[in-house]
Amino acid sequence: MNTPGKLTFKGGVHPPDYKDLSSQCAIEAVSVPKQLAVMLTQNIGAICKPVVNKKDHVTAGQVIGSNDAFVSAPIHSPVNGTVKDIALQSHPVLGRAEAILIESDDTNQQKWPRADQFNVTFDPAHFLPEHIFDSVRKAGIVGMGGAGFPTSVKIKANPQSPINTIIINGCECEPFITCDYRIMLEWTIQILTGVSLISRALNCGNVYIGIEDNKPDAIAVFEKAIHTMPCASGIKIVAVKTKYPQGGEKQLIKSITNKDVPAGGIPPMIGVLVTNVATAAAIAEAVVFDGPLTHRPVTVSGSGIKTPGNFYAPVGMAAGELIELAGGLTDDAEKIILGGPMMGFAVADLSIPITKTCGAITVLAAKDIVKRKETPCIRCGRCIEVCPMNLTPTTIAHAVKHNLLDTAQQYYMSACVECGCCSYICPADIELSGFIKTGKILVARQKKLMPK
Amino acid sequence: MLQNIKISPSPHISKHHSTQSVMLDVIIGLVPAIIASLVFFRMRAGIVLASCVISCVAFEAVCNLARKKPNSLGDLSAVVTGIILAFSLPPSIPFWVCIIGSGFAIIIGKMVFGGLGANIFNPAMAGRCFLTACFGTMMTVWTVPATIDSAMPQVGTVSEAPAAITQATPLGLIKDILKNKPAPQDEKIKAVNGIFKNMVIGSTSGCLGETSALALLIGGIYLLIKRTIDWIIPTAVLGVAFICAFIACEIDPHHYVLPWIHLASGGLLMGAFFIATDPVTAPLTKKGMWIFGAGVGALTMLIRLVGEYPEGVMFAVLLMNSISPLIDRFTKLTPTGGMVNA
Repeated sequence: MNTPGKLTFKGGVHPPDYKDLSSQCAIEAVSVPKQLAVMLTQNIGAICKPVVNKKDHVTAGQVIGSNDAFVSAPIHSPVNGTVKDIALQSHPVLGRAEAILIESDDTNQQKWPRADQFNVTFDPAHFLPEHIFDSVRKAGIVGMGGAGFPTSVKIKANPQSPINTIIINGCECEPFITCDYRIMLEWTIQILTGVSLISRALNCGNVYIGIEDNKPDAIAVFEKAIHTMPCASGIKIVAVKTKYPQGGEKQLIKSITNKDVPAGGIPPMIGVLVTNVATAAAIAEAVVFDGPLTHRPVTVSGSGIKTPGNFYAPVGMAAGELIELAGGLTDDAEKIILGGPMMGFAVADLSIPITKTCGAITVLAAKDIVKRKETPCIRCGRCIEVCPMNLTPTTIAHAVKHNLLDTAQQYYMSACVECGCCSYICPADIELSGFIKTGKILVARQKKLMPK
Repeated sequence: MLQNIKISPSPHISKHHSTQSVMLDVIIGLVPAIIASLVFFRMRAGIVLASCVISCVAFEAVCNLARKKPNSLGDLSAVVTGIILAFSLPPSIPFWVCIIGSGFAIIIGKMVFGGLGANIFNPAMAGRCFLTACFGTMMTVWTVPATIDSAMPQVGTVSEAPAAITQATPLGLIKDILKNKPAPQDEKIKAVNGIFKNMVIGSTSGCLGETSALALLIGGIYLLIKRTIDWIIPTAVLGVAFICAFIACEIDPHHYVLPWIHLASGGLLMGAFFIATDPVTAPLTKKGMWIFGAGVGALTMLIRLVGEYPEGVMFAVLLMNSISPLIDRFTKLTPTGGMVNA
């Protein structure tokens, strides 16, 4: 099944990847910070309500927020400590959102992934699908690739729309980010354990692990591991073309299965489940060790970081503290981004805590940011050429700019996956994806789906 | 520490290119034809090119001042308009006519619509169309190239150019030979086909930039390799023009010339690579580009074969420009996989 570079989708761009800044940095454990801010909003769906009160003492792994809605995931305290407050905190996307502030009282406790405690003899048959679902739900696992969809919902078998293909996403196509690459090398058996559990939960044996062909050693490690691990022997390792946004689930499905997910739809509509390698690793830990999702690998990299690296950080740790662990900002640092440079959110507040969906902090120096003014669109059509969703970004952006939201919607604005390829390629430097995102927010406000 | 930190929507990196670099590529693509025009028409080409380019840039600067808009000369689009307008004029045209044409191209063809990106018609073609209407005689006087006329002043000489020898353009000649002169058919066809070789190299009379098919082809291929222009429009224009010419030739070989002659002659290559591909006035979608290109090719041949004008690219491009927004509307893209809740 290994056909390097051939499997791809229409559109996309090839930004320089800068992965060598941190690709050789093994994941490091992080000592417990004095204070954490665990966001109540960390997943798509129902927002958690706090289940602890101010001044309560909490222990590591204890549930501190939950919601009974089906599409939701509880949150846990990553440390032993005291709830100092439940208050608004800066949030990269929402501006401000409620978080539980915890002051840790045991700074020596250091959580380290149990990757070395998984072994090749693992047999998922010991776990019932219902048990896997329960463990994943209790552990508060959400999609760690960035979307934050509660994973338990995905792995609940639904007889009405059975899953016939499982795709594990090891693409990591954003520039600078290497944490998925590192866990693929370091936690291979743990990931495969998680994959076999997903496969067991959905009773689906057709499993692919898609990896971009710029990570040949990750591909090799998996190829070797599936031969030593009986429960993983049916998994197909697939090399896909290195291209942004190859790690987008719709694009990865197209590359591997040649099927299109309808725009505005989700993969289960065509019988496919996609989940990220980090999520698979979290599932393994949740099911086998009852370990809740309280830590995640985070890449701290970019030209504005002194010593880039990969860290296993507690959820709720301030971005600034992680940046300090990576040597701090360089003097010419100009943009702090939660996430990668293509889809991440620029922030100006170092107290913003990382969440379950935040795989990277990228800091760009002045030299890597092209500063140019927007010039008129010359209708060159490059944005159309690179749009993986086959949209007309220039027309949509133009409509939004002139407040013609109906026109924007007639050109399928809502189908945009916000990958940013159009803005990246635009020779006139028009913030095409910025306008489209704004347009979507304006429409949501019109429909009263979102407050002003 | 955070005083330098900036925020903006993603993506935070972008490809290092600009409208200016796109236009610069077009100018580079035009260089072989510029050289060819200087070789064949010497100082006359220099005068026409210089007056068109300088006046286009000047008119754009004046318009920006009048509209109180920032200077837009940096995008080089006025330079491209100037070169293409010059290329579509006969070498004997006086410099003041060039200035009038440039004025129309920039002011009416481009700036009144709102400047770069907002114009409906190709500015250079609008300028040429205006000159055809106002200075019909001057627009149809064709200078014999320097390779034939040794009296043509050399490049760089400052002396006033003497009255040049003139003759009809190949297409005009051919139309004339085939239609009017009483001569045996075989001889006519031989005479016509003899013109072909000169047309490829460019040593024949005609508009400045249109004489050398070879130079245009080199420039066009450069733009295709650099992916500055899409291959669809040139393919559609040339393909449809070839098919039309082929059909006409098959129906009545004594009346219509071989399709190769049509491809190599006049503004067809120029139009296919440099004029119809103007992104501002062409459709956005691939399907739209096919329709647009096919329309330009078919209309050009309709005008050449049936109409009174020997040349048809200018009208074909302007006519298709006018329906380009309509083509865009009819070829609207739908999202990959179809739309749920649309």
